[in-house]
Amino acid sequence: MSTKLRIALLAGLLAFASNLLIIGFIHFQTRDEIVLTLQHQVAEQSAALGQVFRAGGAAALKREVLEAAQAGDPQVAVAILDRSGKPLEGNVDAILSPSVSSFGKTRAAVLRMKGESSLLEASVDFRPIGGSQWLLTGRTVSAGISLRETLERSLVIALLASVLLGLLCGLILGQYVDQRVHDIVRVADRVGGGDMSGRVPLSGGNDSFERLSRQINHMLDRISTLMSELRMLTDSLAHDLRSPVGRLRAAADAALAADTPEERDQMLGAIIRQSDSLMRILTTALEIARSEAFTSQNQFSWFDPAQLADELVEMYEPVAEEAGAAIRLDRSSVVVPVFGHRQLLAQALSNLIENAIKYASSGGEIAVLVHDEDSTLKLGVTDRGPGIPVERRDEARRRFGRLDPSRSEEGAGLGLSLVQAIAHLHQGELALFDNSPGLVALLQIPIRGDGKQARRGPLGLAL
Amino acid sequence: MGRKILIIEDDAETAGYLSRGLSQEGHSVEQVSNGQDGLYRAIDGSFDLIILDRMLPRIDGLSVLRALRAAKIETPVLILSALASVGDRIEGLECGSDDYLVKPFSFAELLARANALLRRSEARVATDPRFTVGDLVIDPLSRTVKRGGKKLDLKPREYLLLEYFARNEGRVVTRTMLLEQVWDYHFDPATNVIDVHVSRLRRKLEEGFDRPLLHTVRGAGYMLEA
Repeated sequence: MSTKLRIALLAGLLAFASNLLIIGFIHFQTRDEIVLTLQHQVAEQSAALGQVFRAGGAAALKREVLEAAQAGDPQVAVAILDRSGKPLEGNVDAILSPSVSSFGKTRAAVLRMKGESSLLEASVDFRPIGGSQWLLTGRTVSAGISLRETLERSLVIALLASVLLGLLCGLILGQYVDQRVHDIVRVADRVGGGDMSGRVPLSGGNDSFERLSRQINHMLDRISTLMSELRMLTDSLAHDLRSPVGRLRAAADAALAADTPEERDQMLGAIIRQSDSLMRILTTALEIARSEAFTSQNQFSWFDPAQLADELVEMYEPVAEEAGAAIRLDRSSVVVPVFGHRQLLAQALSNLIENAIKYASSGGEIAVLVHDEDSTLKLGVTDRGPGIPVERRDEARRRFGRLDPSRSEEGAGLGLSLVQAIAHLHQGELALFDNSPGLVALLQIPIRGDGKQARRGPLGLAL
Repeated sequence: MGRKILIIEDDAETAGYLSRGLSQEGHSVEQVSNGQDGLYRAIDGSFDLIILDRMLPRIDGLSVLRALRAAKIETPVLILSALASVGDRIEGLECGSDDYLVKPFSFAELLARANALLRRSEARVATDPRFTVGDLVIDPLSRTVKRGGKKLDLKPREYLLLEYFARNEGRVVTRTMLLEQVWDYHFDPATNVIDVHVSRLRRKLEEGFDRPLLHTVRGAGYMLEA
């Protein structure tokens, strides 16, 4: 059953139930009202006739009764009865109930009027007169009943109309909900079919549907980004693995064709180097994917970033020296501990240092920065190398965004994108600036007031 | 001197290759192909070393490891895994493994690590805490190093490097082992940073002496031997 139909039926049912309640109340209320009115009229007439009897005696009463009976009002029942309840005068032919013994106790009776064959219900009053007779005054209720029937008929019509109107309102309401949900379902269907481009149209309000739509669009944006990154990663990986695998194969062929054992050993050594470099590319690509999926946040701990930087400076000092560059630590006097992934931050910093060494001209100076300002930890490296032009900095941070195709053999251009992914893992960014000449590469990691950086889920939503 | 080694590995090719290699080194090797059998064999603690694959049928490697450590079986465990990211390595070590080696690996690397672990399980009966390698004497208490009676001036990191070599005297030590054990980093550097440190240490050790102590083992790593 469609949502629209369901809502319509529900609305119809609710309208029926609530109107039934109201109409039932009106029904009983008016019925009581009618009966009361009749009884009131009967009592008034009975009292008037009693007055006539007291003033003028039996003859005056008889005259009055006959007059009333002959007035021709079909509603009015009036009669003088004998002791046993048998009509003597008036327009009543017979009283079928009640029996004479309960004359004083009831106000309802069933009568047959003179000249009529059918029995009628009546609201009545029995008044004893002269010690041996009864005066019956009454109003047949047929008139009241017909009024009641009219009323009941209109109430039933109202009830039916309300149910129909309820159904109609329900249909309109259902149509509205259906339309709003349908927009979302259509987008979900398209996504299910593999088309990620659809978005739920927004009307600019702030109701639940609107918020749901915005959330869904946000989620789809994020998924699209992740998917396109993944696609780019697999494409680039497939493309970039082609050349090392090719070289690997060539080296294996050469080893097979080698003339001397020395030559063969040399080629086998090349094979091992090539496969190590392949493994490094794969591991780095995996590391980036892991960092961006935030799976390693459970390995966060508190540590001193300045000490880490100091260790890495010490570690790379000899390598830098051999490359003809000097490396030094540039830290602010106070650096607060950071809650992060020590191993990955070490890897990020060492990637930056290795890049700086690789591109540093002889005599260049490399500084490893650790600064703690404006609730941001700035961890990075400055060099005096060729730098990266402004227009190519985004590309440099992208996966496989290699700046110099001829360097494809080394690192496959994953370095900076890994650093960027590690910065993202810590809610931070990798910023690249001009050191004129040279490059400043800084991981900027926010340090929140309570010290703990916010955790994020795989879709970038704060947990 | 043969030792008992248990290999828990479901890839028959890798297991066979390991088993042959370690047998040739004189060890007695047993091999099982799933986590359940592995746990069953390992739980009595009769092995000197367990080589454990991470992704295994029935019970995965880390669960086997946790079960062993929960049962107070302290046999050294070397994890082999294709899961190579830093997070994976740290997870493996935090579960109680003694070393973590990423597939694919060279046999030389595995052997070097296995030997280091086997050596650790030997009871060290020496009363003298000092290490002596030929005419080189290393004193871990005062952190001083002398060669031929002459004191060598080493930086703190150089001392740690040398002490690690000395603890594994006569055994091959690979570059990644040094990076992990001496520097406590679990990533592969793209530069020859380890080689540069080793060659600086070597220069300090061997300058003015005829006999080399720190040898390069081709295709594997380094070895300290008189």
